[in-house]
Amino acid sequence: MDWDKTLERVREAAEFCASSGLARFRVEEDELAIEVARTPRSVAPPAGVAETPLAVNGHSGNGVSNATESHPQTILKAEFVGIVRFSRPSVSEGTVLNAPRELAYVESLGIRNPVRAKGPGRVAAVYVNDGEAVEYGQALFAIEE
Amino acid sequence: MSVSRFKKILIANRGEIAVRVNRAAHELGIETVAIFSDADRASLHVRYADEAYCVGPGPVARSYLNIPNIISAALISGADAVHPGYGFLAENARFAEICADHGLAFIGPSANVIKQMGDKAQAKSIMQAAGVPTTPGSDVLPTTAAALTAASELGYPVMLKAVAGGGGKGMRAVNSPAELEHAFATAQAEAEANFKDGRLYMEKLILRPRHLEVQVLGDTFGNVVHVGERDCSVQKPSHQKLVEESPAPVLPHGVRERLHDIAVTAARAVGYTSAGTLEFLLSGEDVYFMEMNTRIQVEHPVTELLYGVDLVGAQIRIAAGEPLGFAQDDLVARGHALECRINAEEADAGFAPAAGTLAEVALPGGFGVRVDSHVYAGLMIPPYYDSLLAKVIVHAGTREGAIARMDTALAETKIGGINTTVEMCRRIMSDDRFREGGVAIDFLPSLLAAGAPAAS
Repeated sequence: MDWDKTLERVREAAEFCASSGLARFRVEEDELAIEVARTPRSVAPPAGVAETPLAVNGHSGNGVSNATESHPQTILKAEFVGIVRFSRPSVSEGTVLNAPRELAYVESLGIRNPVRAKGPGRVAAVYVNDGEAVEYGQALFAIEE
Repeated sequence: MSVSRFKKILIANRGEIAVRVNRAAHELGIETVAIFSDADRASLHVRYADEAYCVGPGPVARSYLNIPNIISAALISGADAVHPGYGFLAENARFAEICADHGLAFIGPSANVIKQMGDKAQAKSIMQAAGVPTTPGSDVLPTTAAALTAASELGYPVMLKAVAGGGGKGMRAVNSPAELEHAFATAQAEAEANFKDGRLYMEKLILRPRHLEVQVLGDTFGNVVHVGERDCSVQKPSHQKLVEESPAPVLPHGVRERLHDIAVTAARAVGYTSAGTLEFLLSGEDVYFMEMNTRIQVEHPVTELLYGVDLVGAQIRIAAGEPLGFAQDDLVARGHALECRINAEEADAGFAPAAGTLAEVALPGGFGVRVDSHVYAGLMIPPYYDSLLAKVIVHAGTREGAIARMDTALAETKIGGINTTVEMCRRIMSDDRFREGGVAIDFLPSLLAAGAPAAS
């Protein structure tokens, strides 16, 4: 799946949801399902999956995006059960990313499954510690564009 | 000698069976690890376990069948054994091997036995070699003439089946030689079209059989026992079981003992080392082996109540290398046990599954009543999995007493928000043919055809 295209579709879905006044909107096509939901007040912090205001579920991307008017956020989530290892140089909250890069990988059965920031931005939050066991869908990083 | 060999078990399943395994493990002093999909976050099986890992999104291929994620969860949680429950990976020999490769004990029989019994043709020939009666049948039939000869030897009616078959394709019931010629040509064409293999063989058609099965337990020391039979003849048109009981009522003289002997012989022949079930068809006084299930079955609590044996606990102890700890003579059936499956289904709409949120859940209780379930009021039943919500199992001194107890329990069972099989099960409990005992597998389809109240 083309990540940029996916993000584009999410943005469109989010804009449609906001402009139409819908609280919740879901669209499915082929292997991609996008569901967006608005919370009545500004934006809740992406503490857990359930509270996340805007979610994308696709076959490759299981990221959750959190859109605000000013700084759209993307939540990078674990797609595998395993141990998360930070890539060097390791990022922390506030780290500015000038280009796409690998932030960490989830080590699962001896395989490194990279977790990548797809474009330039700023690390808005780090939800896990280096070496921690993570499950599927667990939020790892929030990236602000 | 104790089960201290296992400290932590990962339960590679969901729903009521994951709850069941969790209980057995905790009673043996073993910690548990649950796995769940995004859609099952709120299930009781997650809440009851000591630890839980999300292994993928709702669809089973990406969560409960996601072997890399499940094995990873076992390894990072430090589990030393995996219980597969039923369905999903329970009869997947490759999964059993992968567990072993990662130093995880697979709580079930050996991968080799799973493989052998999973291949239906191989299972049948192994059983025949062990002296187990199987459905009489022919070899591959090259011509219509060969089919006519085979049919006259087997006796009509017969069933033509595709060698490569499955899903009813290339299957034809044939009642007379006159029908055979046409049936052979159409079945061959259908098999050719569906499987690119037009080869056919023939089996004797067992009319209106009863479905009986025998529970066995084997350990790694060569001990094998049977834990009685179950009658599972009350089946939906799709052949899924709805009501099970033990002992099987009104059996012809000697059949029960014969079934038990056959099952023990067969389990010994394959070197079986866990809980397993041999399924048979009963027609008149004849029994025919169908298949062996190399896992714990949905209806195992019927046997547990009747014999007072913890089958899941036994599976765990056997996998930990313990001997069974009891002999055949120690196993005594007392009274009668019945199980009704409470499914999220609309019985009068062909058992169409009904996903949704449970508005109300009131489960029955009392003397001799057991409920195995993972649901509670407010739980959302996701559309990805089977429709089983709860199993109501009762035990009483007599069959009549068990039916009365079940009817009372079902009357107490209130599940609101979605359609369930509760009312259908009550109709079965009050049906004269069922109360008489010994119904065949056409019982429930005929009850549905006749009884759909206020339909049409």
